[in-house]
Amino acid sequence: MRFIKSLCIALTLVAMTISTTGCLEDLKSESKDLRTDTSVGGDDSAPAVDFIELSTESETIQLSSELMNNDAVVLYYTMWCPICDSHMSHLRSNVVDHYRNVRYLVVDYVSGSVAQSRNSQVSNGYASFTVLSDSDQSLIEQFNATMGTTVVIDDQNKILMNEDYKNGARLIEVLETLQ
Amino acid sequence: MRIRRTWVNNALSISALLLSSSTAYAASCCGGGNATSLVLPKFGNQMIDVSFDMEDYKGYWNQEGDYTKDPAGSDLNQYRLNLGYAHRVADNWQASVTLPYVWNDNTYPGVVSKENGVGDMSASFWYETFDQVTCVYQVNSLADLRPAIYIGGTLTLPTGKSAYGDDATSSFDITGRGLYRFDANLLIEKTVYPFTVTLQGSYGKYLERDVNQEYGTAVAPYKKNLGDRTFVSASLGYTYFLEELDTLTFTAALADLREGEGEIDGVSDPLTEFEKQSVALTTAYASSDLRWVFKGTFSHALRQDGRGENFPTTDILTLGVSYAFY
Repeated sequence: MRFIKSLCIALTLVAMTISTTGCLEDLKSESKDLRTDTSVGGDDSAPAVDFIELSTESETIQLSSELMNNDAVVLYYTMWCPICDSHMSHLRSNVVDHYRNVRYLVVDYVSGSVAQSRNSQVSNGYASFTVLSDSDQSLIEQFNATMGTTVVIDDQNKILMNEDYKNGARLIEVLETLQ
Repeated sequence: MRIRRTWVNNALSISALLLSSSTAYAASCCGGGNATSLVLPKFGNQMIDVSFDMEDYKGYWNQEGDYTKDPAGSDLNQYRLNLGYAHRVADNWQASVTLPYVWNDNTYPGVVSKENGVGDMSASFWYETFDQVTCVYQVNSLADLRPAIYIGGTLTLPTGKSAYGDDATSSFDITGRGLYRFDANLLIEKTVYPFTVTLQGSYGKYLERDVNQEYGTAVAPYKKNLGDRTFVSASLGYTYFLEELDTLTFTAALADLREGEGEIDGVSDPLTEFEKQSVALTTAYASSDLRWVFKGTFSHALRQDGRGENFPTTDILTLGVSYAFY
């Protein structure tokens, strides 16, 4: 019995040690601005590299072509989950109609094929969006993106924003600068 | 896609970490098994509890409360090994700590992802408002109706991998929420053998934190907070007495979990608001001396429209064992 007790205490201490030494970043948050990467937007950001992707309606979408006809392109990365749905619902209700000369492209990087992406798009109620099927994950690699990542590229190929959608305020703030 | 660029669904991890402490641990003021938090029986001085959760994702409710299935071909799972330890610190006071280790195993048609790591640790303390066990076999007076009431607090520490720390490079690496939270807890339990009724509730507030990176990428610094969290559950149990006075208890529970609007730089963030309703069935086998309890719980999210909002629907199978020292 003493062995079980000692083992329990030892396991707890080991687990606490592992957790507290491995995750100090979350236990003690910082407000210091760490941005040095030029892909995250801002004055020093690098130009976006042109890309060509197939949409779920079998259109060929090229970044440079879209930027010729619009003030900016907004990419939103989805995996058809609750958070993605809340982001896209907010985007549809609060952003799209207010900034009409902006091209909104949803990037599906989980469905694996154009057909699967189309199915997910329709079943989740976003048939009216243009969805890019990033089957080879080239777009998620190019912008170092993940679920919820929102990228804004202006007509000069400049990346104005590359971060999580959150409550949409930052996206609206950036789109306002295009007016 | 290389492994570090694959992921653990943010929403999936959130669900798991919110719910894992609700039904995984079983005890009661009299010992034996119920579906409550990690609570030391009245006669116990210490208790260890080990449980394993298998959580299977079955779609989600959108913001309007409509249920939506996951994409065809997807298979999303999270597994958690929960280590718990409770210690009596005074006659009517007890403290406990729990630590989950999390495995994420997700398949979408285009991606297969497996990740693991420590989850968010929690530490609790409880005050028992009663001096003797309140379980009775017969009600002979009003005093026999007195329930066991526990008042407690739980601090959740962000020891898991969150979107805001160094460890997660994509949303699929997440095993924790990244924010401290303090919950005030109330647990009311009454056993008149063979029946046990339990009501449990908690109200939690997150602590605002600074964020200067997301998934390992630096972003413009901001302050983030999540909405207040409420959890309520009601359960009814029935105990069979076996040979040698071992017991077998069956418990049915109904639970409601929700969080309000969060904040980004002090501005309302309704996109993190959610709700989930679920039912759970627990079977617990307790030894006659009430030291050992073996438990199995199946928790099922109600998938009908309106039973949740902005949250995954999951089924959770929990298998666990606890041992009380006294």
